[in-house]
This record gives sequence, C-alpha cells and structure tokens, in this order.
Amino acid sequence: MSGENRLTPGDEQLLARSAAGDNHAFHTFVLRHQEAVYRLIRSIVSNETDTEDGLQETFLAAYQGAGRFHGRRSSGDRSGRAWILTIARNKASRQFRRRAGEPRDMESIEELGKKAGWGAELPAGFDRRIENREILELGLKRLSAEEREVLILRELEGFSGVETAEVLDLSLPAMKSRLHRARLELAAALRELNI
Amino acid sequence: MSAHDRDIAGIRCKEVLAHLSEYVDGDIDPRTKKKIDGHLAGCDWCEKFGGEFSKVIGEFRRNLSRAAPIDQSLAERLRAKINQAGRN
Repeated sequence: MSGENRLTPGDEQLLARSAAGDNHAFHTFVLRHQEAVYRLIRSIVSNETDTEDGLQETFLAAYQGAGRFHGRRSSGDRSGRAWILTIARNKASRQFRRRAGEPRDMESIEELGKKAGWGAELPAGFDRRIENREILELGLKRLSAEEREVLILRELEGFSGVETAEVLDLSLPAMKSRLHRARLELAAALRELNI
Repeated sequence: MSAHDRDIAGIRCKEVLAHLSEYVDGDIDPRTKKKIDGHLAGCDWCEKFGGEFSKVIGEFRRNLSRAAPIDQSLAERLRAKINQAGRN
C-alpha cells in the first residue's frame, strides 16, 4: 500500500511532484506534517525562536531534497512522516541540543521505579491529575530531550518501535530501553507535580 | 512501604518492573508474559504499580495525541520561506 489515491495523494506522490517543481504539492506535504515536526523540534530545543528556525530549516531541507526521497519503507504515508521527522530531529539535535541541556545521569531501573511509585502509595488525587492535559504537559517538560522525543514519537505520533528506533538512530533494544525509562520518568514527574 | 523483590510465579518483582513497558505494549515473548501474568495475580504491590503505570501511559496518549495547531503567523512565515526558496 502506498497510501495514495486520486483524492488524497500520499507523501511519496507529493514529494515526487514537489521535486518536479509543483509548489502546491509541497505545501500540502507541509500542512500535513508541520504540527508533528513542530512538536518534535519543540521537545528538543529550549525556546520558540529555535523551534521556528528548526521548523523552517527542516522543511527547506525537505524541499531541496524532495527528489531524493524514495518510499523505501512499507507504507508511503508512514515513511514520508518518518523521513521528515528524521530530518527535523537531525536539524534540532545538531544545532540546538547543546542549548537544551545534557542528558541526565543514568539511574537504575529500580531507582527510577521507586521515583515513579513502585512500592509506594498513590498520592491523593493522582488519578485526576493524570487526566489533566496541562499537568501532563508540565510533566513532559520535566523530562530530558531524549526522553521527550521518544515519548512523542512512540506515544503521540503512533510510530512503531522499528520506526521510532529508525528516526532516533538507535537499535530497537536501545529504543525500548529509552522508552521504558522515559515512561518511568514521566510517572515520577507526575507524582512530584503537586498541583 | 519499602521496596521488595519477591519471587512469584518464577519471576521477581524487579524483573517485572524491567519488563513492564514490553508487557503493557504486548511486545513480549509468551513465556515471560505468562510468568508476569502469574506474578501480577499474586503480588498486590506489582499489580498496583503496573495498573498505575499503564494508566499514566494511556492518559498521556489520550490527552496529548492531538497536536495543538501551530500558530497561524508561524505557518505563514514558513510558507513564505518555502515560496522564497522556490523562486531562487
């Protein structure tokens, strides 16, 4: 399946048209992915200015590289999304990651588990707290850039494990390990947020 | 309550904790899954934490999956940049 039909062209088709000079096709591609790209870059960098720079650089690189895109992977739409998010991540990482802070020291899974509530009572109102979008966003902000990006790709963009590992340039076991740690860190952050 | 590490159904609490994401995702080999099922049935401690962990992930997905629309002026500046690149 390429994800393409006459009414809604797939990413592969849009990028092929873009490479042939069809600006409208590229703008359709941008509209389809700009929110996901924005969210991923924002998770890596520390401010709005850097996010906007990263967003523009990502789509300009995609515009210039549209002719080199080949839908090599199994699904046309999915691979177009993975392609643009890989560009976004590389742009954001290379240019802005240093400003966004270094990754934290590795704690053992057991230590992380304890912070996340393994073996402890639930704080009062915890169930209500984790249903609140603003509190979840505050919890996410407390994580490192590496933790945020794996959660965004895997949980929010719905990428498979293999795709997530590919975008993050990690082996599948390394991605799974990072995801598990990120989930525990998120649970810990939400416990600490006493709102 | 302090941390403990009991062996129930052939798997320890610490191992259950280590496999929890794979278990929640259904991305786990059937033998380990069976052991964890047995462990959770006999360990209130892990059962409670597993449920809470799973709920955090579920609520995170449910509440944040839809990205907020990006600011209109930002989208317009992006569009202008691309148009400019197209003319060069």
